[in-house]
Amino acid sequence: MHDPSPAPGPWAIEADNLWKRYRRRWALQECSFRVPAGRVCAMVGPNGAGKSTFLGIAARLVQPSSGSLRLCGVPVSDPAVLSRVAYLAQDKPLYPRFTVADTLRLGRELNPRWDQALAERIVRSGNIAPSARVGTLSGGQRTRVAFALAFGKRPDLLLLDEPMSDLDPLARDELSGLLMAEAAEHGTTVLMSSHMLSEVEEMCDHLLVLADGRLRMAGPADALVPAHTLVTGLAVDGRVPPELTEHHTVVEARVSGRQFSALVRPNGPLAGTPGAPAAAAWDTLSPSLEEVLLACMRAPGAPALVLDEPRKETAA
Amino acid sequence: MSTATTPKTGTGRAAGGALHGTLWLVWRRHRTALLAGILLTLAACALFSYQRIGLMGFLGDHGAPDALQDEFRTRFDGAFNSDLSFLRYIPVVVAVFLGAPLISSELERGTVHLVTTQSTGRGRWLATTLALPLTLVTVCTTLLAVVFQWLWAPARSLVVGGDWLNSGPFDVTGPVLAAKTLFLTACGIALGKLLKRMIPAMVATAFTAAAVSVVWGEKVVARLGTPLRLTYPYDGDGPALPADAVRFDDWVATADGRLYGFGTCVHDAQPDACRAKLGIVHRVTEYFSYDQMAAMQWRGAALLLALTAVLLAFVVWRARRRPL
Repeated sequence: MHDPSPAPGPWAIEADNLWKRYRRRWALQECSFRVPAGRVCAMVGPNGAGKSTFLGIAARLVQPSSGSLRLCGVPVSDPAVLSRVAYLAQDKPLYPRFTVADTLRLGRELNPRWDQALAERIVRSGNIAPSARVGTLSGGQRTRVAFALAFGKRPDLLLLDEPMSDLDPLARDELSGLLMAEAAEHGTTVLMSSHMLSEVEEMCDHLLVLADGRLRMAGPADALVPAHTLVTGLAVDGRVPPELTEHHTVVEARVSGRQFSALVRPNGPLAGTPGAPAAAAWDTLSPSLEEVLLACMRAPGAPALVLDEPRKETAA
Repeated sequence: MSTATTPKTGTGRAAGGALHGTLWLVWRRHRTALLAGILLTLAACALFSYQRIGLMGFLGDHGAPDALQDEFRTRFDGAFNSDLSFLRYIPVVVAVFLGAPLISSELERGTVHLVTTQSTGRGRWLATTLALPLTLVTVCTTLLAVVFQWLWAPARSLVVGGDWLNSGPFDVTGPVLAAKTLFLTACGIALGKLLKRMIPAMVATAFTAAAVSVVWGEKVVARLGTPLRLTYPYDGDGPALPADAVRFDDWVATADGRLYGFGTCVHDAQPDACRAKLGIVHRVTEYFSYDQMAAMQWRGAALLLALTAVLLAFVVWRARRRPL
């Protein structure tokens, strides 16, 4: 609407076989996924899973070892991508001796698409004086100023590295509200890494799960969760029944006593052990998002579930 | 002048008003240090001009050089010595307090992630971060060197006993002051880039500056020119050197010009016989004449600037190869 260049495609993020190697270990391995524009996407994974590495690649702070990444249709190898993307590092670095007004001027001087009125509105709605020095602000206020700087840039894609991790519950609530409202108003795609699964459930409609540098799961939240079923039933010889492991994808399974419980991706109707008494039938439950995410992160060996994978479409 | 279309907020500052883009950012980041540097330069230039008025009055009133020496010493030595030590500390101070923190403070605080992810990008930011402070440093040190030279030149044979080579004037006049400041500042910037922490980078820069000053004084300066030779009979007094020449070394020599160390045969049981055996008949004095000073300074400055360019190229290459 304010940008004369061709409208961003339907994909905000297109990662194709992205690899990143640090000196001794792989931080990211064969990452391929796509995120449609306009989504609020959460990137979930244990520490060291490669979340910050991916965000760093997207912000041109880290160079990928191989593979390609396009943001809003622009490859990250092109410096022009920086005018489409705003990045907020985990510790929200700002110059402590700058005043809030100076900090907004920094955004204005370095960004041609800068929206001063929007940035000022975000700062003002937090009751922060423009003449206050950034070093004297509270954590929540600093995050608000950093958000103002990010939104004032009018990005098509906002990259946030654990934006709420160091905030108290009040500031967290206030700023996630701000984030959702501004993103919805401007149609900004948001990609945020987070440890807070409740926060993810509440805010995000698209999910990326990383573990050990590999993509475990990617897709819309409302498609990923129904793809899973929580199955409980009688264990066979102290193990999960072979009928289950043979016909369905078991993400994670546990046996306690005579019972097993497993999170599976069913490939067809789930039936109990054939010919067994009714007591041996399996109980199925719909898992919560949190249960699916935890199981996915706990079981890095399970096959990945990637919806909207770019190569699938080209192969079809 | 461009007219600002965006509404101004906060307190508008005159100094930053005409600056835009990364130039504004770098000025705003370092404005305390840069303004202090500019003001100190202007104050020092004013002081040098004031001292010159007194000096020219003194030189105009006096004619006899011998009497001049003592009276000059009592009246002007203190002022010149403090001027010289102030100017000689400038490269170190600039390197430690401007050069070392220039990039390391951004790396330490993570603000480098903030500025290099804005639309202007990393290359522009790095270029301005290096160019603005270094340009101001060049202008200020050149101005100081020129004004001090203007003060010092009329009294050059009297100041610090006329020893312009080793006692200061060589390092703080002509192009040397600016070149030395730029070189040490580039050392500071490179150390900051490597160490990524401000205080360690400042300490390392201070030690580097001390090492450079020793190497410069002991090994480099005397090799920047070829000393002139004055040969005279061994037993004679020899002609006096010009008042503004700097004695570099003394030798003894044979008739065909072979040089021996100054102490040759002095501690021998029979010095005359020893000298006769070696054929020593001359004394040789090596010295640098004042005419050589400018050429030596330019040679030294060229060396320092070449090293500066290498260091800055290293910083830019590191920043491009591995994103900060």
